[in-house]
Amino acid sequence: MPDRFDPWTPGIEPVVPTEGYASTFTHTPTLPPIRRRATRTEATGPVDLWRKLPCGDDNLAVVSPGRPAMGQLIHIAGRILDEDGRPVPGAVVELWQANAAGRYFHPNDTRDAPLDPDFIGNGRIRTDAEGRYAFFTIKPGAYPVPGPGFWWRPPHVHFSVLGPASLSRLVTQMYFPGDPLNPLDRILMSVPDAAARERLVAQPIPPAEAGMGWLGWTHDIVLRGRAATPELP
Amino acid sequence: MHHPTSQATIGPFFPRTFFREGDNDLRRLTAEAAPTARGESILLRGRVTREGGVPCVNAILEAWQADASGRFRHPADPEAHLADPDFGGWGRAWTDADGRYEFRTVLPGAFTEGNRRRAPHIGLVVMASGLMRQLQTVLFFPGMAENAADPVLDLVPPARRRLLLAAADGEADGMRAFRFDLRLRGDAAVETPFFTE
Ligand SMILES: [Fe+3]
Repeated sequence: MPDRFDPWTPGIEPVVPTEGYASTFTHTPTLPPIRRRATRTEATGPVDLWRKLPCGDDNLAVVSPGRPAMGQLIHIAGRILDEDGRPVPGAVVELWQANAAGRYFHPNDTRDAPLDPDFIGNGRIRTDAEGRYAFFTIKPGAYPVPGPGFWWRPPHVHFSVLGPASLSRLVTQMYFPGDPLNPLDRILMSVPDAAARERLVAQPIPPAEAGMGWLGWTHDIVLRGRAATPELP
Repeated sequence: MHHPTSQATIGPFFPRTFFREGDNDLRRLTAEAAPTARGESILLRGRVTREGGVPCVNAILEAWQADASGRFRHPADPEAHLADPDFGGWGRAWTDADGRYEFRTVLPGAFTEGNRRRAPHIGLVVMASGLMRQLQTVLFFPGMAENAADPVLDLVPPARRRLLLAAADGEADGMRAFRFDLRLRGDAAVETPFFTE
């Protein structure tokens, strides 16, 4: 259980408001947040959240047998860790993404791109004792962010992780290596530190290891918090 | 030594399909479970708006709080063994086209942390399209004696403390209702105070 939450190391957090991302200028508070030590409310959180949020929905790519979603079938696996590098078991990991055409199955996505009847694009699982998670899905397509000065989001996967404490709550995005849209993405590039950006990019798994039919990616996610006193083995 | 993974916005399309009936009811351990019988059930409702008072649509609010007697069912609470076993304590809500959200919960209890008394409160995490970093705030209840000395409320400039106080808002479904509006961005007189470590 983490009981220490240090301030963010400079360079890891996105710069806000974010240049070129118009709605950050209407949503980001004008005043800096008030500093306070983490209290019991922030250092705790639901220990058995999977009872409330049912987990096990790990295959986004093939929902009905014999009807795979359109696109490149991929497998994303990794571990959820804390800042001491220890696995976080029992974390609830939610993933959502666009389909291969870059369209979300969401009433608010009204872009003129096709929906795939065999792809909803979200799943939820619980990490195992070693902090591992894994999803079968498809590689999402890029999509444009509308408005003046529009830009294209590179293929990306949204992650929401609910860990052991309120302060370990994380919502982040995972990218694919080498995509020419990555260095042009205003969301990815809002993270100032190059190494921190690199940690948002998945690593390919050798095809022989991933097995036939799926391209494999590995992606570890680190939640805030460390154990002030080491746990007994 | 590992650095935490950078945050990003949830974007406009956080899936509706993640939500089930009862997710916004902190009184339940599971969607099917009955609400806890301990404490006073309350309804909490309000709006999330941004600059100019424009509603935030499909913003996500997550609430976490102590039970009616001020205990968390979590190992970091020295009285966890006495916590209400039927109280979930966590809930998630999304905002509609008017920026409205709603939670059902019980009135949280006060508790002692260190040598300070904490006023009844609910921790809130706010996520939205256009918010690259999640926001954390704390909701307090009107008329609580402990508000005068709560160590977190104490950190807020006196003129802004009222922005963290829910307001009595009549009754709904036989419960007392409270209203708590969040203004993500505005001038200091209206902008919700947020917190960090
Ligand atoms: Fe997206």
